[in-house]
Amino acid sequence: MQFEDNFFWVAVLTGLALVVPACILSLRVALSAVGVRLTYRFQRAMDGYFYISTWIVGFLIFLAWPLFQSLYVSFHNVKITSSELKLTFIGWENYAEPFLEDIHFLPLFTKTVANLLSDLPIILVFSLFVSILVVQEMPGRGVFRMLLFMPVVIGSAIVIRRLFGEGVSTEAIGVSVQTLSEVVFTYLQGTIADWVLDLVNRVTLVLWRTGVQILIFVAGLHSVPITMREAAKTDGASGWQIFWRITLPMLSPVILVNVVYTIVDSFTDPFNEVLTYIQTVGLTRDFRLGYAAALGWMYFASIFLFMALALLISSRFVFYAGER
Amino acid sequence: MADSVFVIRQRTGVLGALTSRKWWELLFLRIATYIILINVCFVFLFPVIYMFSTSLKTVADLADLTVLWIPRTFFWRNYELAISGMLYWQAARNSIIISVGSAVLQTVACSFVAYGFARIPFPGRDVLFLLVLFTFLVPPQTIIVPLFILYRNLGFMDTYFPFLIPSLFGHGLRGALFILVFRQFFRNLPYELEDAARIDGAGPFSVYWRIMLPLATPAIIVVFLFSLVWHWNDFFEPTIYLFDQNNFTLPLRLSILSAALLQMLAGQGAGDEFNEAVIMAASFLVIMPPLIIYLFTQRYFVESVDRTGLVE
Repeated sequence: MQFEDNFFWVAVLTGLALVVPACILSLRVALSAVGVRLTYRFQRAMDGYFYISTWIVGFLIFLAWPLFQSLYVSFHNVKITSSELKLTFIGWENYAEPFLEDIHFLPLFTKTVANLLSDLPIILVFSLFVSILVVQEMPGRGVFRMLLFMPVVIGSAIVIRRLFGEGVSTEAIGVSVQTLSEVVFTYLQGTIADWVLDLVNRVTLVLWRTGVQILIFVAGLHSVPITMREAAKTDGASGWQIFWRITLPMLSPVILVNVVYTIVDSFTDPFNEVLTYIQTVGLTRDFRLGYAAALGWMYFASIFLFMALALLISSRFVFYAGER
Repeated sequence: MADSVFVIRQRTGVLGALTSRKWWELLFLRIATYIILINVCFVFLFPVIYMFSTSLKTVADLADLTVLWIPRTFFWRNYELAISGMLYWQAARNSIIISVGSAVLQTVACSFVAYGFARIPFPGRDVLFLLVLFTFLVPPQTIIVPLFILYRNLGFMDTYFPFLIPSLFGHGLRGALFILVFRQFFRNLPYELEDAARIDGAGPFSVYWRIMLPLATPAIIVVFLFSLVWHWNDFFEPTIYLFDQNNFTLPLRLSILSAALLQMLAGQGAGDEFNEAVIMAASFLVIMPPLIIYLFTQRYFVESVDRTGLVE
């Protein structure tokens, strides 16, 4: 590692992170020293910006500017010569290409979305079920919890992903793929059979993505007031009724959090096929930066739509105990 | 739970319990719970056990179908090969610098920013907080090219700064999530503490530094651990920013292990020593440090998510 040539910029950026809030703070001190009378609200506003100014500067440098650049590039054809990037404006062509010419992107995209839609209920139901089991007081609870949250720690590791790629996942649930596919193809039609097989192949991988969700559900279940359940019990409600009428509604904000987390997590996962494809197009195979940027933007916009949709649908079902 | 297997037995004695229908129901439920949980845990443990067991096998054991879990001899040479093939200590040092450095910076910066969002009313706060959530949605691939060009112009290629500098600003790997965790935590603390400190003459910074931050220990632990582990496992960004193999982190080293080993062993004429078992040994070595950290800190993961009030 060499420090000489980049030391300057490291110093500048580090300085920026510290100097900007310091400026705001000293401005406040200076104003009151000069004798300018500041209203309380103005003082508090300055305090607020003192804290978040670092983040705003970072946002501009590491997010807003790159986003803007990629938007700009997405309307251009990029030629990489030895010394510089050559941009020629081509309008919306990059955005039309996946629909008109590219035969890979749309299938990958629909597959990713379809996978998400089939995985989302599995992840939610499974993690809710497991967390209900694991919040009970019982001997050995600590050990179960420890093992169940393990995917949080190593689930994102490339090691685990690779193991699943080699078929360890189906071994874990004790099914051999050959026997399974024979059974499935005897009883089901082609497309459905394919889907079932694919699901079985992925199911362990899907379970491995539930670590954070279980964690959040466990915390949520702890926050459901025990008095409510006891009141219902006294009134003669069965465990089943208590679950549907009390636990689940009280848990609905947590379920929303988990839905949002799951969507974001699977859409921004670097091993995601669409993202790998974008990377191949832009960075490794063809170096078509403009097209990759356009794909990235379309993908990003669709994530946004999905989130909006999820929030819209869920707002009808989510119950906030604090609201009247 | 008011009724449990043990409570009923204590109340009615062994004989009473055996004749009570409720006791049998509960016992059955408890056994079912254990069976399900043990199964689920097995699915979660399976890859790790598989990895460890395979990593100790000799070539003969790998080929022998009768050897399922426990190899005939524990063949530790696989680990020697993996350590030398990955240059384990060098790669581990790189991984440690990146993950510990980023985790420290992210914890400090995110708690600082989150305090502003949580406790101080200022115009534009809600809009800016929406922007924070917005950053969480941006897939890394969308902005990777401009960032790559930016870091190259700054001379940050093949250094650790592309990981450290964004963390310093409260961004970096899932920075938005960490800001959210801290914000939820700070929001639940009593306002009286701050008011008292301010009346006693504390400035805005010392309120945060001397009052609020020490109270946020559970949140600090959870953010630090998550950040550490996620940076350790991160594969995508190191592949973009690191070229020189001497700067590679452990996951990167693992991905080039086969080539490196074949090259290393070619001269010694021992090419057949390299096999799946060595890869498994290497994989196990890569996930071992986070696993060990997790074993010691796992209670914080549950407790602090409970106490940070992440779920609101």
